[in-house]
Amino acid sequence: MGSSSKEDTASDGDTASGGASPSNDGRLFTEGERVLAYHGPRVYGAKAKLNLSRPLYVSLIQIQKVELRKKEWKYFVHYLGWNKNWDEWVSADRLLKHTEENLVKQKALDKKQGVEKGTKSGRSAQTKTRSSADTKAEKDDTKNNAAKGKKRKNESGNEKDNVSAEKLLKIQIPATLRKQLVDDWENVTQKDKVVKLPRSPTVDEILSKYLELKTKKDGMITDAVGEILKGIRCYFDKALPMMLLYKKERQQYQEAIVDDVSPSTVYGAEHLLRLFVKFPELFSYVNMEEETWNRMQQTLLDFLKFIQKNQSTFLLSPSAYESDKVVSDVKGKGKDE
Amino acid sequence: MGGGNDEVVVGGKDKEEEEQDGMSVHSPCKALPSSASSLSKEQSEVELELTLLEALEIYPPVKLRGIHRHFVLYGLMEYLGRSFDRQFTADEVLQLLDRFYNIEMLKSDDEDVDVLNHEEDFTLPQSYFEKEEE
Repeated sequence: MGSSSKEDTASDGDTASGGASPSNDGRLFTEGERVLAYHGPRVYGAKAKLNLSRPLYVSLIQIQKVELRKKEWKYFVHYLGWNKNWDEWVSADRLLKHTEENLVKQKALDKKQGVEKGTKSGRSAQTKTRSSADTKAEKDDTKNNAAKGKKRKNESGNEKDNVSAEKLLKIQIPATLRKQLVDDWENVTQKDKVVKLPRSPTVDEILSKYLELKTKKDGMITDAVGEILKGIRCYFDKALPMMLLYKKERQQYQEAIVDDVSPSTVYGAEHLLRLFVKFPELFSYVNMEEETWNRMQQTLLDFLKFIQKNQSTFLLSPSAYESDKVVSDVKGKGKDE
Repeated sequence: MGGGNDEVVVGGKDKEEEEQDGMSVHSPCKALPSSASSLSKEQSEVELELTLLEALEIYPPVKLRGIHRHFVLYGLMEYLGRSFDRQFTADEVLQLLDRFYNIEMLKSDDEDVDVLNHEEDFTLPQSYFEKEEE
């Protein structure tokens, strides 16, 4: 035990800096930075009585002020999506850099609790995910720091009730669509290819088709589904230029989206899938009751299955990507062909 | 504006007409066409409004201005739906909200503006490159 706790301490240092490069004065975070914060039920205590919120114990926050107090840096934080009344001063040990790596850490942490507590919605697909997330987490451990596995156990012991926001918000993308995303990545980033625009069907058309299908089947509940689909469309239009494009696709975007054209009427399912990867990040700004979120999640999963069913018509096969002339002219043609 | 806030408006008002001038002029407790003059109907209107206000604590109106608009609206639909055990359409919720807020006039949430104000390249998370194992 003695030696392992020593290692734990070392890795704690790692965690606190989260791969950041602290400035000379020892400040780990800067004003305006968005990071993840641990917090106890305290924060939600009042709300919980009203049964208002899902129990999130890791939140996205924004650093408002940084001050040195009694030789320790303190950070004034604002919980994104929450009233300013909850703003508070915390020390660095409550904060985590908002990085993929840390999100993964949170997921792993959360996963352990998921096993203990039983899962939210008992779908077999999610059990599968869990085991793959597990593997992933373990790999990360060995890669980064052998001691972390132990540390994680301690953590989950101490903060047993913590549930990660991003994990809760995660949407399980069906395996064949995950494969599609990897092929898409390979085509664009490794082979300098792009999806030819405009796509057919467009994101708009796919959303309409789905709504049509649901209307025929279920009638009334489609109002709720319709609202969710509108939400997806809205996210897509806003998020596409900001976070859904690989660097090499930017030029194409400039050419394809002129005036006030909505990306959802030009781009197709290839880019829509990427939105689902980013969905937890965007949606973490929305406060929603757990029950409502569960229902919404079902709809999102059902929609993804609909895309999966129509994979061959909605999505380009990897060989159907076009070589991006702009990029390949500059960089030397078809280096991978 | 004033005067009407405490009293429940009784009698079948012409709803269409009221809807047209947005909000602000009439009492928030105006009756829906379906709820004519019976006391129980009035009570249910009050209940409805109270529940909506309760729901706004989770789903702040200001979020109806930003990119999350539809999901917040969906949250409200579900909240009311569960409370009254019937379906609420988006329009219904918006009309209810209209008794209290002029959504158009709300300043959009700084936080929402913040979410998507810096461009970043898409990256596929590492987990996608690892084989799914059973």
